[in-house]
Amino acid sequence: MKHLPKHLRPRWRYLAVEIESWPDASIDRRAFQRECWYAGQNLLGDPGSARAELSVLQFEFSADAGVGEALVKVRHGWTDEARAALACIDEIDGQPVGVRVSGISGTIRAAEEKYLGRRGQDSEERNVVFGNEERVAVVRDESVDVRLDAAFAGTTDLDYDYDYDLA
Amino acid sequence: MYEAVHAHPDGQSTVARLAKTAAEFSFEGVVVRNRADERAEFDAERIGDEYGIDVVEGIEIDADDVEQASGAVGNYRTDETIVAVAGGTPAMNRFAVENEKVDVLARPMAEGGDVNHVLAKAAVENGVRFEFDLSGVLRTHGGRRVRIIQSLRKLADIVGHYDAPYVVSATPRSHLELRAPRELAALGEQLGLSSSFVEAGLEEWGRIAERNRRIQSESFIEPGVERGRYEEEH
Repeated sequence: MKHLPKHLRPRWRYLAVEIESWPDASIDRRAFQRECWYAGQNLLGDPGSARAELSVLQFEFSADAGVGEALVKVRHGWTDEARAALACIDEIDGQPVGVRVSGISGTIRAAEEKYLGRRGQDSEERNVVFGNEERVAVVRDESVDVRLDAAFAGTTDLDYDYDYDLA
Repeated sequence: MYEAVHAHPDGQSTVARLAKTAAEFSFEGVVVRNRADERAEFDAERIGDEYGIDVVEGIEIDADDVEQASGAVGNYRTDETIVAVAGGTPAMNRFAVENEKVDVLARPMAEGGDVNHVLAKAAVENGVRFEFDLSGVLRTHGGRRVRIIQSLRKLADIVGHYDAPYVVSATPRSHLELRAPRELAALGEQLGLSSSFVEAGLEEWGRIAERNRRIQSESFIEPGVERGRYEEEH
């Protein structure tokens, strides 16, 4: 079909979204898209989520580091509604996630240039002493996720200086 | 704006990690409100300097009965900057709002708890803030979430009518459960709380901290009495 004249085309805003989870989490684009639509539907209702759009254009997630980012397309004038809906995504496929809108742009390219790819995704494993026991931790950008028996604990470099002092 | 958090061992992330993430989310401070039997050991000043955020020491008293809560309030009032009492039962809600040593009545509507005009008037008189706990909106689904939203709106009506003091929190127990102030404000708008209402509730934590630090500082003698310039040694 011939595409619409410019004044009839919907206007969009592009939300850059930062996603964080524990290391080992595997989250793919389809799962994130599903959660976006569920969250939109649950908070805004069917009409609201239809108007807000909330489709995921780009998605990247590094399972090693447990961080990722996405670009979400939202109808102009519905960014606050979309922001509220995205805030309600608390887990994806049963894996707890933190979600934050890092910026909004009017074009995909501006959103990419300004807000995506800013966070370090390099991670490494390190042995740390947490709760008087030696544990394996995943370290990224001063954040240290400690692997416990059945879960993780979120810590930072600051939590370990004391141990170095004592050693 | 401040967020009131439960840190390891009461939550999954340490105070440092919550403070680091909160600073990235442009919060000005975090209030650590671990329960009495799950206290966190941390150096508030060091963490605050490292991440550029105000770290406030607090406690959330989660007691089985009023006698126990009353004892705990007396014990912790002198050491902690912010003392919150977990509500949710008629007896605990009433105890908290009638006690001027309490700063915050946390989760007044949880688990079938309720707030009415009598409690609101008492809260105004004693300066006890009602907490709007958004965690149920952020992290539950379905019918339960509907009831939580209903209870928040009821609380908002009562608080609005009596101009009662209040705080807002997402009650995170890990850095993943933190949400940025703008997200919480946008969510408030959807719930009918208005974004300025939510922002004022997030700022209130900071005001409590500032006020209590002044009162607990050595230069404060009692209300209306202040050490003046003439006390300086010559």
